[in-house]
Amino acid sequence: MPSVRQIRRRIRSVENTGKLTKAMEMVAAAKMRRAQTDVLAARPYASKMEDLLAHLAAMALTDSSELHPLLQTRPVKKIAIIQITPDRGMCGGLVANINRRTGSFIVEQEVPATIVTVGNKGRDFMARTSRELRASFDGLGDRPKLIDTTAVSRIVVEDFSNGECDAAFLAYTEFVNTVVQRPVIKQLLPVEPAELSATEMSGYIYEPRQVELMGSLLPRIVEMQVFSSILESNASEQSARMMAMRNATDSANDLVKELTLQANKARQATITGELLDIIGGSMTFEN
Amino acid sequence: MAKGSSGQVVQVISTVVDVEFPDGELPEVLNALDLELDGEPLVLEVAQHLGNSWVRCLALGPTEGLSRGTKAIDSGAPVAVPVGRECLGRLFNVLGEPLDGLGDVKAAERWPIHRAAPSFQEQVGTSQMLETGIKVVDLICPFARGGKVGAMGGAGVGKTVVIMELINNIAKQHGGFSVFAGVGERSREGNDLWNEMKESGVMDKTILVFGQMNEPPGVRARIALTGLTMAEQFRDEEGQDVLLFIDNVYRYILAGMEVSALLGRMPSAVGYQPTLSTDMGALEERITTTSKGSITSFQAVYVPADDYTDPGIVATFGHLDGVVALERSIAEQGIYPAVDPLTSTSRLLDPQVVGEEHYQVARNVQTVLQRYKDLQDIIAILGVEELAEEDKLLVGRARKIQRFFSQPFSVAEQFTGREGRYVSIADTVRGFKEILEGTHDELPEQAFYMVGGIEEVVEQAARLAE
Repeated sequence: MPSVRQIRRRIRSVENTGKLTKAMEMVAAAKMRRAQTDVLAARPYASKMEDLLAHLAAMALTDSSELHPLLQTRPVKKIAIIQITPDRGMCGGLVANINRRTGSFIVEQEVPATIVTVGNKGRDFMARTSRELRASFDGLGDRPKLIDTTAVSRIVVEDFSNGECDAAFLAYTEFVNTVVQRPVIKQLLPVEPAELSATEMSGYIYEPRQVELMGSLLPRIVEMQVFSSILESNASEQSARMMAMRNATDSANDLVKELTLQANKARQATITGELLDIIGGSMTFEN
Repeated sequence: MAKGSSGQVVQVISTVVDVEFPDGELPEVLNALDLELDGEPLVLEVAQHLGNSWVRCLALGPTEGLSRGTKAIDSGAPVAVPVGRECLGRLFNVLGEPLDGLGDVKAAERWPIHRAAPSFQEQVGTSQMLETGIKVVDLICPFARGGKVGAMGGAGVGKTVVIMELINNIAKQHGGFSVFAGVGERSREGNDLWNEMKESGVMDKTILVFGQMNEPPGVRARIALTGLTMAEQFRDEEGQDVLLFIDNVYRYILAGMEVSALLGRMPSAVGYQPTLSTDMGALEERITTTSKGSITSFQAVYVPADDYTDPGIVATFGHLDGVVALERSIAEQGIYPAVDPLTSTSRLLDPQVVGEEHYQVARNVQTVLQRYKDLQDIIAILGVEELAEEDKLLVGRARKIQRFFSQPFSVAEQFTGREGRYVSIADTVRGFKEILEGTHDELPEQAFYMVGGIEEVVEQAARLAE
């Protein structure tokens, strides 16, 4: 049975941890609101871009004379994966979930994979499992700008164009709501064409020519996809961190309560013991 | 001094009896007085001289029906019990009377149960390890041949089971004699042990003495001495290596505490007798190894309210070479034997004695478990995910080590449904070393539970994987 003093010391240490997690919870909550606004604002644009891209790709297929390089489907001999993770931990199972998802995805592939990581946690994981890293990015901050992320997509686009990889995937954590974040893997390149009905196929006239349009638009759209998934991951991270810190604060408080009860019991036991000794002693004298 | 002098009972306070003797015929302290109660003999032991020719005595039997004026005769000597080979295979009470109904014991000698401890010159230290076949014990708190080891734990954590397994693993292989003293424990356990000893054929090398829960405190305060005296005779006269099992030493203290106030002594801390360490010394100092022979002793020690700072426990601690601490929180996880590897200690865990490898493995196991314990608050607050990679690995290994400490016991077969396992020291050390080195990081925790050697872990893991 630990002494009252030992228990008190533990209570203090747990209380301090609780204060820390409480502060981190509040910081994460503030960042979360901003990140959520950002991702929700970007979503309509991103999804329209995706639609447009799929549409363009489908149209391009019908006119196979000049297929843009980013649309070309080749036999897959090597793949590239962009993995987006937080820079820092303390966000519950989020890091482990995305790492596990990506890890098992890589293992499932029958071809070698090169990896581009965004965020320290993913980089560390890949280094630990000794995978080949093509590039790694970190320190994008809580509110990344599109300009910060273009380098990420450029590497993959170039590799794909040079034939160094035949498919590229994007692994990130989709923000569903504050409590639910889902690790997903999405194919980035080659762009998967949408299945279009006959009516949708007609009625579009591209100006300038389709091939020129594709040339300038496609890399932009890929950039946009990467950017929006970074925003998703960011919102997920802040939400997960807030939840994790809230749970941590709660369990710290529970632990403090439990320890306080223990300390009080120990204190009471000491007092009772002392009383017993005194009363016992005095009663012997009376007799 | 005055053998045969006769006094009469003047006061009976439960189990403490005052007797008045004629002037100048007072019996010596610790002398036995014989008296008759309802046609049955009753023995009293003189504890104090009160003055006015009164002596205060401890009854070594029930005192119901005892009345003032009853005649008590000084036997002129302390209680003496039969000793020697004639006693082997028999079951005794505190007075050395057989309880097994097999007739009288024709011992050539009777020794008084109160004796002086061996002198400094006679005592010798030993540092030879004794294999027990219990993984956690062999690794963390190795036993010494001729040493004293206590199995300490609160109520129902498995002290008796550990002692029984030791009897099974050591006494049955041991060529020499064993003495088992049952002190204030369940009578049924005594009966079970007796029957089992007879079945396994080691009874002819064993003496059992019992003063169990149903006996008055005077008996429980002396029964350990009875057993010890028999063991001492083998040590001193025959030069044997004797095994002495005592279950439970704390009942000896408790019996002393029960009579202490009745004897008129002022209670000391937590209500213990003021003579606590004297009482402990009187018993424990005699259990020792001399130049003639050795007594290797295994003692179960009940820890009241799981409080290791209890004065009764503290008084016992100092006498022991090794402590096997049984912990409730470990028993609650279903890990048996519930030995706490962080508080269990042994004088023998020294590279000079057990060898460098064993020592390092044991210390590393303790370090890993200590680190896991330190991390427990963080895990409780933040969850295991937030730990650094190396800490996660360490936690995994610590949990495996904890499970690997569990072991099926031969004496607990009917509870666990698993056959008992005896693991040699070499296998134990190798098993833990492999876990520490990370050889078995891939195996599931469950595979480490309730197995013998490390090979069995691998087998069980393969079975679980199917």
